[in-house]
Amino acid sequence: MSRRRVVRGPFLWAAGGLFAMLCVASVLAPEFMPTPELKASFLPPWSAPPFGNDDRGLPLHLYAMQGAAIVTVPSVFAALVVAMLATFAGLVRCLGLPWLDALIHVVGEFTGALPRLVVVLVAALLVPREWKSLYPIALTWALLAAPGAMDEAAATAGRLGGERFVESLKAHGFSGLRIYGYHVLWLNLRPILARQAGEVLMQVVFLEIALSYLALRRNEPSFTHPDSASSWAVLLYQGYTALLGVPLYHSLAFGLGLVAAVALFAQFLRLGARAR
Amino acid sequence: MYHSALFGESRLSWWARPLIRLFVAMALPVAMPAMVTAVLWILPGDPAEILCPREICSGTDALAAKWGLDQGALHYFQHWMSNALRGEFGNSWRVEQGFPVADLVWESVPYTALLIALSLLPLMLGSVATAAGVLPRRLDWFWQAVGLAPAVILALFAAARIEIGFGAQSYVGLPLALRMLSGATVLVLADGAFAAAVVGTRATFEEELKQRYVQIAVLRGESVFLNSLPNVLPALVGQFRGRVLHVMSGTVVVEVVLGIPGIGELLFDGTLLQDFGVVLASTWAFSVMSAAVLLVHSVVELGHGLWVRRHPVVDDVAAAPAAARGAA
Repeated sequence: MSRRRVVRGPFLWAAGGLFAMLCVASVLAPEFMPTPELKASFLPPWSAPPFGNDDRGLPLHLYAMQGAAIVTVPSVFAALVVAMLATFAGLVRCLGLPWLDALIHVVGEFTGALPRLVVVLVAALLVPREWKSLYPIALTWALLAAPGAMDEAAATAGRLGGERFVESLKAHGFSGLRIYGYHVLWLNLRPILARQAGEVLMQVVFLEIALSYLALRRNEPSFTHPDSASSWAVLLYQGYTALLGVPLYHSLAFGLGLVAAVALFAQFLRLGARAR
Repeated sequence: MYHSALFGESRLSWWARPLIRLFVAMALPVAMPAMVTAVLWILPGDPAEILCPREICSGTDALAAKWGLDQGALHYFQHWMSNALRGEFGNSWRVEQGFPVADLVWESVPYTALLIALSLLPLMLGSVATAAGVLPRRLDWFWQAVGLAPAVILALFAAARIEIGFGAQSYVGLPLALRMLSGATVLVLADGAFAAAVVGTRATFEEELKQRYVQIAVLRGESVFLNSLPNVLPALVGQFRGRVLHVMSGTVVVEVVLGIPGIGELLFDGTLLQDFGVVLASTWAFSVMSAAVLLVHSVVELGHGLWVRRHPVVDDVAAAPAAARGAA
């Protein structure tokens, strides 16, 4: 086994482990929070394991599980959209279709011309109040992030030699599937796709936290999830009250830990999927 | 074929990208309100019912006639655009009901503009310091690590600090100035803004250093920076435009968390309360700012392209052989 594969292996396992934890939490998340138990309010983790209780006596891990249920599938969906579009752009560069290249540039200029959060908020207006979901926002973010990923994938394919690279491999007798699937996609585009997908997944999670936190600051329901669910932003908001003197530092620490876990997942995925 | 400093050869002619950007810059201030108007009409039900639901409000038809919502999306859009060009945006539906949106916007723009300016200054200085070799590469990991923190987290710490020091209602004078400075700091550090500025500038110059003309300049004892700067300028301006858009995007989060009364906060409140009057005006303000940045980028790129491809002066061409004969 090569030294680089040995170095990349632990990162991939770590990323996989973090992602698995996110998925398990999402699957096991309760549909509704239990009845508040004020006698158990503000209990720290050593008194109410594993992560303590909030100001209403509710266990913090339930917020984590519901938050995971809100973000997991939409963020993975957004990551897949970006990966697919970047794959398309990379393969288009190898096919040598300049008009399609130009079209991608034009679309990229339009989508990259505005601040992303402004476009996301306009997209959020589309979400009917009675059907709140992160999907429209995640899809919007993915479409806004896609041009950058597509540009990078196309540039990588261009550095390979584009259609000349494909022609030379065809001259060796390789099939189209082997050329595009293995040589172009797996060997060369894979690191870019993994990194971009991981970054978009992380960004969608952070976006959901930010939008929910802003709604909490306004004492309004968020437009990223139904009112019955609680986002990770609740933990951060409780943490903010902790900074103002409320004994909820364990909530702040737990919320920051969840954010750090998502950031680490994206970094581990990037490090694990590096090119040879 | 046009040679890009960052991504190798592109199949577009050198003038194509700046012209596309110019076109997008012209189209943005029209396209954005059109998109919001389209959203308003795509939503289920009558747009007037968003303003005044029939189950709780008796004057829906009258309000629809007053706001121009009863004659279709195109009429509403044309009416709104013609008023917007005169600086009139109607009244707020829900954020500050009945209050002129123009007043809300004009009061908010200076705060957002100042916040953006305060954020861009360190980003520019960071790029310049990197280009000049002042910021060492060994610190890149630090900027990238700090940049992993989302803006909302850094902003909530800053908001808590200010509220502890000055109270929760501290929105004027020194507390407001501190909120602005904290907001600018958050925008610079969070979400990898500063890291991207440093790393992007460094990567751009390093890529250019591989070019033969730079290596020859080194052998001739000339300044590498002055030789390579004209060629990397379009890439740097493009990166800077990206930073501006990134900062503008972050102002929404920072203004709401820190309580800065800017356009970002206005947009978020309008979205939350489905106040389309406010949303239209604030997205239009953002689109105008983005269009201005895009216009500058395309003008710089076009100007640079024309300057790089200019023909040599005839006197210089005629003088060269004469100088060679004289030397011989």
